[in-house]
Amino acid sequence: MKHLKTLLAGVLVALLAVGLWRGWHSTPEQDTARGYAGLGSAAEGYAEARPGDRLVFPADHGAHPDYRIEWWYLTANLEDAAGRPFGIQWTLFRQALAPPGATEAAPDSPWTSRQLWMAHAAVSTPDGHRAAERFARDMTPAEGPGPAGVRAAPFAAWLDDWRLAAPDGTDSGLDALTVRAAGDGFAYRLTLAAHGPRVIHGDHGFSRKSADGQGSIYYSQPFYRIAGTLTVDGEEHAVSGRAWLDREWSSQLLGPGQSGWDWFSLHLAGGAKLMAFRLRGAGRSGGDYLSGSWIAADGTVTPLDGDALRLTPLTRQTVAGRELPTAWRVQVPAQALDVRVAAVHPDQWMATTFAYWEGMVRVTDTQDGTPRGVGYLEMTGY
Amino acid sequence: MSGRRPARRAGVVGVTLATLLSHYRRHPGQLAMLLLGLWVAGALWSSVQAINATARDSYARAEALFETRLDRIERRDGTPLSPATYAALRRDGMAVSPLVAGELTLAGSAAGEAPLRLLGIDPLTLPGTSPLARRTGDAASLRDWLLPPHRLRAAPDVADAARRDPRLPPVEVDPGLPPATLVTDIGVAQRLLGLAGPTRLVIAPEAPAELPDALMRIPARQLASPGQLADSFHLNLTAMGLLALVVGLFIVHAALGLALEQRLGLLRTLRALGVPGRTLVVALGLELLTLGLVGAGLGILGGVLLARLLLPDVAASLASLYDSHVGTRLALPWHFWLGGVAIILGGLASAGAGLLWRVARLDVLALGHAQAWRARLGGLLRRQAWAGGALIMLAAGLGGWLWLTGDRQLVAGFVMVTAALLGVTLWLPAWLAGSWRLAARLGRRRALWAWALADLQLQLPRLQLPMMALLLALATNLGVSSMVGGFRLTFLDWLDQRLLADLYLHPEAERHDALQAWLADQPEVATLLPARHAEATLLDAAAQSAAPVALFGIRPAAVLRAHWPLRLPAAERDAAWQALAAGEVFVNEQLANRYRRRPGDTLTLRGADGRRHRLSIAAIYPDYGNPRPEVVMPVARLTRVFAAPPGSLGVVLRDAPGSRRQRLDALVTRLAARFGPATAESAIDQQALKADATRVFERTFAITRALDALTLGVAALALLTTLLAQAGTRRAQLAPLWALGVSRRRLVGVQCLQLTGTALGTALLALPLGLALAWALVAVINVAAFGWRLPLHLFPLQLLVTLGLAVLVAGLAALLPAWRLWRMPPRQLLQEFAAT
Repeated sequence: MKHLKTLLAGVLVALLAVGLWRGWHSTPEQDTARGYAGLGSAAEGYAEARPGDRLVFPADHGAHPDYRIEWWYLTANLEDAAGRPFGIQWTLFRQALAPPGATEAAPDSPWTSRQLWMAHAAVSTPDGHRAAERFARDMTPAEGPGPAGVRAAPFAAWLDDWRLAAPDGTDSGLDALTVRAAGDGFAYRLTLAAHGPRVIHGDHGFSRKSADGQGSIYYSQPFYRIAGTLTVDGEEHAVSGRAWLDREWSSQLLGPGQSGWDWFSLHLAGGAKLMAFRLRGAGRSGGDYLSGSWIAADGTVTPLDGDALRLTPLTRQTVAGRELPTAWRVQVPAQALDVRVAAVHPDQWMATTFAYWEGMVRVTDTQDGTPRGVGYLEMTGY
Repeated sequence: MSGRRPARRAGVVGVTLATLLSHYRRHPGQLAMLLLGLWVAGALWSSVQAINATARDSYARAEALFETRLDRIERRDGTPLSPATYAALRRDGMAVSPLVAGELTLAGSAAGEAPLRLLGIDPLTLPGTSPLARRTGDAASLRDWLLPPHRLRAAPDVADAARRDPRLPPVEVDPGLPPATLVTDIGVAQRLLGLAGPTRLVIAPEAPAELPDALMRIPARQLASPGQLADSFHLNLTAMGLLALVVGLFIVHAALGLALEQRLGLLRTLRALGVPGRTLVVALGLELLTLGLVGAGLGILGGVLLARLLLPDVAASLASLYDSHVGTRLALPWHFWLGGVAIILGGLASAGAGLLWRVARLDVLALGHAQAWRARLGGLLRRQAWAGGALIMLAAGLGGWLWLTGDRQLVAGFVMVTAALLGVTLWLPAWLAGSWRLAARLGRRRALWAWALADLQLQLPRLQLPMMALLLALATNLGVSSMVGGFRLTFLDWLDQRLLADLYLHPEAERHDALQAWLADQPEVATLLPARHAEATLLDAAAQSAAPVALFGIRPAAVLRAHWPLRLPAAERDAAWQALAAGEVFVNEQLANRYRRRPGDTLTLRGADGRRHRLSIAAIYPDYGNPRPEVVMPVARLTRVFAAPPGSLGVVLRDAPGSRRQRLDALVTRLAARFGPATAESAIDQQALKADATRVFERTFAITRALDALTLGVAALALLTTLLAQAGTRRAQLAPLWALGVSRRRLVGVQCLQLTGTALGTALLALPLGLALAWALVAVINVAAFGWRLPLHLFPLQLLVTLGLAVLVAGLAALLPAWRLWRMPPRQLLQEFAAT
């Protein structure tokens, strides 16, 4: 799912960073050279994610305004009492429109800021999908919080009344949270409790995103149990399941020539988790760049590089006028993992301003087809 | 041979046409008059149309703008919202978007130039139904919009001016914006307007919102669009334009009639030479068409120029009357041009049809004889009088119906006015002929008198058209002047009612009470008039529908009671004021008309705290210029029951020696010393305020006055044309009198008297017509259009002016022919006599 976010963020950045963007408009060749709307080259003036950066909590739960993009990305695989599959997504994106110091806010206006907020919320039902998006400018009124923002402790992330936060009066980092959102024809309100440790990806949090070396700071909390109520078209469903929260920020996320990504977050039977992504065109000599993390049931992380991980599209389906690989073979030979990951149903397209596919998947054994878990898949750039 | 016929025929038509047109070479004045008539008619008509077309285009753009399609959320007390309130509502899940609206005067704009409307928006939250929200969807433009130096979208008419103002962000032209409108990011607009927060929030009509008590939601459907409000104004303009067209066509009629009359001999000669009647008709038709096209071209050109000249005034009128903006540049659709040509050609055809008919039936042998004409005219006069009578009856019937039912319908009002004007106009010749007959009977023994009146009967066919034009112009002039004059008086009264005190203070809320106490102790102060405003919701009987109403708290001091008008007989006013003190309320006429309430009825209001209050209406007061329903109660009750925030303090000075100015300055100086300069700066001198308001008002009716004067001018022109046209014939008729020994001086005197007398007779008929028109405008059309009624003021001087104008116009028109007669050598008169 992080991959999806990365893609999204990339698209956002690309769209919003004017100078870069104009080049992209002119000729595709030029674009490619600059790396997906200049994402690779436009970090000038922004803080850069580097190997060796160290995470500090709870401060790093909050926003990093000197980086270009950042997100708080929650997905959950749920079931109702009858065992039918549901899913939710709750995402808050922060986007800097200009590097720090480039344009200082007019001190007398609470409206001018170089930060922009965007949120996506979605519900997947056994046979359908609902999604909504919201935007807000970053503003700090003289009294009270703005319409969107993130507070590190006690943790709260919100845009309008969409909110992911520690319950009132509590402060346990990201371990206990509530989440709510509502859109056209859907609403949800759920409670999350972590039963495992926070997981830091890559090199102490630096997650490489291409063979050229650029990357992001990336950590997750994949060990949530989640329960609550979904309302879809006026019908309430009591649901429970597992959730996964990703935190990631960067200023220079994508490599040149990249066309999009496929990102997996899987809850495997036995308690292990797998995060894996494929950045298409980001590898050496135009190949794909693969990376991931194997997370044991106790939270121990094993980074996976392109040799330790294989992601193979199996079947393609037409969704929203595009051909998307909705079934995959995922292999981690070192962990003896060889599974088929397939969309519960293909209709989980996010028809938002920056559109992508994000949906719940089932994990089954490639050999005998036995269930091996659930998860979320994000596919962008198709 | 048959093959050569068409060529010969065309040749005949050509020669005939050339022969006919040669008439204008000998009489270029007639050609000029004809074209002048067409030009004036066309110019007035098309200028009004051009103004209307431009205004409609402006409204269409205004309605396409988001404001009129979205519900508004405002504070009940009308003060700006804080950004924190906005953020809190968003966090509570309400899809509100902040909006800053205000007026901005551009740097370097000329003094007196109207300020522009500046809107500040947040494109990220503006509901998606708005065209503006969608247009900012492009990411690069969004970034430009949100970050310094930001962007400013400007309506095309003000883009250049906006570019010259260094305070404004880079300008992008947006043809979709209403005129005189600028749109920019909310932060920029707030800074430019010096505001502390958004002036209001907007929300899509279908979006739910549970608002705190201090806020209220005004549904989009209750925000009347500017187009609806100003419709009546344009209806008035159109009526004026139509009138001008009719008057202009009178000129054309007169000129064409003359051109034919003088060519009757020529036409007969042509017929006698073997030119077929049909060829004559074709040739004359071609002549008309050519004249029409030239005239239409000139007319439309003149109209556009005139509209360009008048449009700033019209725009100012509309802006001050309805708060709606109309571009000061013309925007003309293609059908405007075609329509203009069609209406002028149509008018010319109507004037020329009779002429062609007569030419077609031309009797080669008959001699043009005025007496024979007169006999035929008798029948025509009777038919005209009958039709006129029927129209007057229709108008009277409609008037009676409107009077009895109290139902004020705009269309019925206009039908009534049109029928009355047309009816009396048609009836005019019969009235003149009758008056002359009566006068002739009275002065039977005086030969010159009898001759003059008999001569007038003979002139009637030609005089009737210009006199009709004069009648229409005079009646309209009187009616519109009465309305404007009445409006002006009423407006000044209203200003007195609302701006009674010498000084107004708007202290900050926390200083209000202290300031009030301090002022009460000052020796200069005779009476303090505190006033407060609040908002409430008016519920209907079944609480099914709700509408916002303004609450106005006044202190019913003696000086205020004396100036506050009530729609009650004088004897009942004291009782009404006592009832007000005892717990009843006054409502303004707008509320009474819109929700059909009368004194004695009750109102149910829901206050900001949600509690309901049932209030009895003691009286209705006129409230010109206020678009909103309003309820008045004592300020103490408004504060207690409806929690009205502190408002303004009016100070009435005590009468004392020394100038008012000095005492006022002394008070303000002490005020500044005691409460600081900020409070003193909030003091507004009532006289300055009144002067401002009056200035705005005077501009409001500038357009009405301009059109009025033009119409009268056209009528004078019509009369002059006719007199010049018949000057030659007249000489032939006057020559025998001169030969009989009547001096030229007396002849000139008789001529002038004939004309001014006729004009006076016309004016006498115009007086009642003008008064009826004034009544219709004030009591029917105004009520239907604006919701309030003006008292009908009659200005005796205005009546005298109307009579005087008629005489003046006739006198001026008679001057040139009279002067020619005066200068005529006796030898020529002798020749004329010999010729007859």
